[in-house]
Amino acid sequence: MIGIETDARRYVWCRSNALWVIGMPALTFLQDVHGAQEAGQEGLLRYAARGIGDACAVALHVAVNQARPIPPAPLRTAWALEGIGGHALWEACWQLVRGIEAVPAGQIPARCEALISEVQAIVGKMPNILTPEGHYPAIALARDWAKALDAVGEPAPLPSNWALPS
Amino acid sequence: MAMTEEGRCRELEARVLSYHDVSFEKVLSEIAYLRDTGDSVIAGGSLAYSLGNRLSDLDLVITGPSTAHSSLVPLEHFIGSLRVDVWKLEQKLVEETFERAEDALAGEGLVLGSFGDVDREDELKLLHRIIYGITIDGPHLQLASTRNHRVVATNLVVREYGERMRSSALLAQLAIQADRPLAAVFNARLAVEAALNASVVERGLPFTGDKWLRERLAGQAADLATLHDPFRELPIDPDTAGADFVEEAIATCRRLWGLALQIEDVSRFARWSNPDLSMHEVGDECMLISAKHGVLIGVDLLEAEAWRGLSSDSGKTEPSVWGVDECGGSAATLSYQLYERGLLDLEWERGVPISELHSRKEAARDRH
Repeated sequence: MIGIETDARRYVWCRSNALWVIGMPALTFLQDVHGAQEAGQEGLLRYAARGIGDACAVALHVAVNQARPIPPAPLRTAWALEGIGGHALWEACWQLVRGIEAVPAGQIPARCEALISEVQAIVGKMPNILTPEGHYPAIALARDWAKALDAVGEPAPLPSNWALPS
Repeated sequence: MAMTEEGRCRELEARVLSYHDVSFEKVLSEIAYLRDTGDSVIAGGSLAYSLGNRLSDLDLVITGPSTAHSSLVPLEHFIGSLRVDVWKLEQKLVEETFERAEDALAGEGLVLGSFGDVDREDELKLLHRIIYGITIDGPHLQLASTRNHRVVATNLVVREYGERMRSSALLAQLAIQADRPLAAVFNARLAVEAALNASVVERGLPFTGDKWLRERLAGQAADLATLHDPFRELPIDPDTAGADFVEEAIATCRRLWGLALQIEDVSRFARWSNPDLSMHEVGDECMLISAKHGVLIGVDLLEAEAWRGLSSDSGKTEPSVWGVDECGGSAATLSYQLYERGLLDLEWERGVPISELHSRKEAARDRH
């Protein structure tokens, strides 16, 4: 048996938000990174890399420091980077968020993949609903989180009309 | 010469075929269960606008006079390696969205976020898909109203992004005042990118979301790309370079849109609101508590005094709403820092009317 040494409400809220609200876009952006690299769309590639740095920083801060609430989008990244100051992944997040114009486009996908992989090792596996393989398992997982949130009296971070049985 | 809709349709199908070996016939067969007699299937999104790539999804809208049900979320389909997202919408919902957009544009109230938030610009994109999309099956959609739908769709995005520009410009300057240089430079870049997105759409290009901005600038608005260049990267050291970066961003926004965005120009329209924070004094400790979020913030004597000052100004036990320009010094810093933590909201008394955006832009164009 493993006791989670923290308030249940906070733990469930932070984990589910880190994975679902914040983490999920990281994999969407990763798909953009790959598509853009293949098509030579450097602007999209660099924008998506920024998005990955942003999502990873916020997911880390929410999951590791159990930070809540999550501020409005324009202030989220700075809040998260400040919160994970000193963390081993701070630099990798900051570089992507800042924009890495000097780094050749061909090297960016590997950087993004490495960061996401390291963040997932800490935060948990982020759902990827953009693939046929991930679609239904991801929705099933969302439903499990929604039930756990319901059990601790927290609203689900997803529309309840399709995440919960009516 | 502009390509005909038939030509665009052929080009789009050729791309989808080359990427996925999936024909439109196959796509239409897959989504046939969603169709009603006489409806239209409209392709929008990045692929339809000559952007996109092999991993982009194909965005479709199914709508028409006989469409009886609307989907609550986009319905995702996979055909081989092609992902097809379908919005099925009763035509009256499409018409109502245009009507709501036209009403919003006619008023002075805030548009920001009311047609989709920063992450999901669903309704903004929907209007552009209807106007700029490619009918791949069924009749060309006939909208009932005689309004100029293209102008409504364009102006709505211009106004949304004009208001985002104003909001980011204010936050960047408030962050500098509160000694938060990282948030300041981040918002300064957002302000410039909002200004550029508004400019691109104002030129008559369909809205595709923030992520395609640089491709748009490179391909269809090269004269604007140089304005973006200084903001592609944030300063290495925001502590030392933050204030200049913000100042340069405000100047770039002004050059593009002519709006006065200095803190004194915009803060008078903005106010902080307090959803549930309350001050508690325990012994010689002071703390602000949000029961809703389960958050406790310790405050020092100066901050506690600032909070009490806001309360006494409002005549209530706890402050509820106060103007951004009404507080200075420690109250201003405290307000910003609580907002930065998601514990206060920022509201706007008014939006930025489209007539103001256009007239200021004209004036700016004359100046440059």
